Amino acid sequence: MSTRFTLALASTGVALFVLTSIVPARVRAEAAAAGQAAAGQNAASKIPDLAADWTPDQKRGGIGQSFSLSDPGGRKRGQEDDIPYQPWAREKTLSEKPSTGPTPYFGETTDPQVLYCEPPGVPHIYNWPIKTKFIQTPEAVYILYELGPYYRVVWLNAKHPEDPDPQWWGHSIGHYENGDTLVVDTIGFNDKTWLDQMGHPHTDKLHLTERYKRVDANTLELDVTIDDPGAYTKPWNGHRNFTTSKTGFLRYQQICSVRENQAFTDALYKPAATNK
Amino acid sequence: MKRHTTTHRLVVALLLGTGLLVSSAPAGAHHGTANVYDNSKPVVMKGVITRFEWTNPHNQIYFDVTDEKGGVTHWTAATEPPQVMLERGWTRKSLPIGEQVTVYVFVAKNGAPVGNLQKIVLANGTELSAAGGGGGRGSAPAAEPAAR
Repeated sequence: MSTRFTLALASTGVALFVLTSIVPARVRAEAAAAGQAAAGQNAASKIPDLAADWTPDQKRGGIGQSFSLSDPGGRKRGQEDDIPYQPWAREKTLSEKPSTGPTPYFGETTDPQVLYCEPPGVPHIYNWPIKTKFIQTPEAVYILYELGPYYRVVWLNAKHPEDPDPQWWGHSIGHYENGDTLVVDTIGFNDKTWLDQMGHPHTDKLHLTERYKRVDANTLELDVTIDDPGAYTKPWNGHRNFTTSKTGFLRYQQICSVRENQAFTDALYKPAATNK
Repeated sequence: MKRHTTTHRLVVALLLGTGLLVSSAPAGAHHGTANVYDNSKPVVMKGVITRFEWTNPHNQIYFDVTDEKGGVTHWTAATEPPQVMLERGWTRKSLPIGEQVTVYVFVAKNGAPVGNLQKIVLANGTELSAAGGGGGRGSAPAAEPAAR
């Protein structure tokens, strides 16, 4: 046996001793600390289980057309009491041609989601008759949608970037409150989406807060606060109710296809919109 | 539904007797500037399914209606998209080609043979509801949501 080999064997023995004695002690200490932290967290803020296939509650508001609490059906578009428009935002709203609501323009809408198959963004996506699912991990909550199908990442224990690039879904961070609520804070939006089906605009200054509250096994409620100093003079609020789906998430994919939209327009809209 | 039976018979009779032009007159229908369907009451027709498109943005039901002189009109009616109709108990096989059906449709104001389906009754009496309506192109239904 060479001296070099003996030394190597001795070194391995030392390393093994270190691994079997010191490292387990460190792991035990970390586990204990984590346990204490978890116990503290449980007492202060239990993590709610958001797992279910959520669908708009038809008995309590359905999908709605507008996020105005006073005018969910969109009948007073541009004149709602609870939307604190800046003048340009009111004018912009009134200039739009919604695809749905009391006065739908069908094939001639200016809704960018319908016209260009662009992402609806939030909170507009909750005006769609689609299901939503939450995947909760220690690092993030993933919100999955049947439309698109799109998904968002809500980073937990994280901060917004200093200067986020404006994007379709913005940058979302979140935390839990009261053991039953996920609070999502989003900035960094572009200004290309509508806030709802009624064409309410927003700018890249939009700061959106969503509070998803698990009320009981079959009920989820969403409160949104729209704070956009570029378009509105003060924050305003909206609400949606969800219940559990009978058929499950993503049984059918709600894809936006320009070709399928065109086929629908040709078959159902054009004949009805032509003067005879 | 029984209380509507007499009305529906009248509507069907009227339809058959007037070559299907029972919907209200073109209500100053500027091109794409207002509701193009009359959502005040459904028109009732008996027809035969010729095609059923189970698709986004809205399902499309194609059916033929024959008047008493043997003239055939090709109709198209929309429903919500598949993920909504699944929730209401429909499948892509709900309307086989050749099926004899009674349809309840909010029809175009201008008299075109198109509209939004409200419900459809199959030959064996099975009733499939489409309440909530088709609505806008590629988007959510036009129906007013219930109070919160």
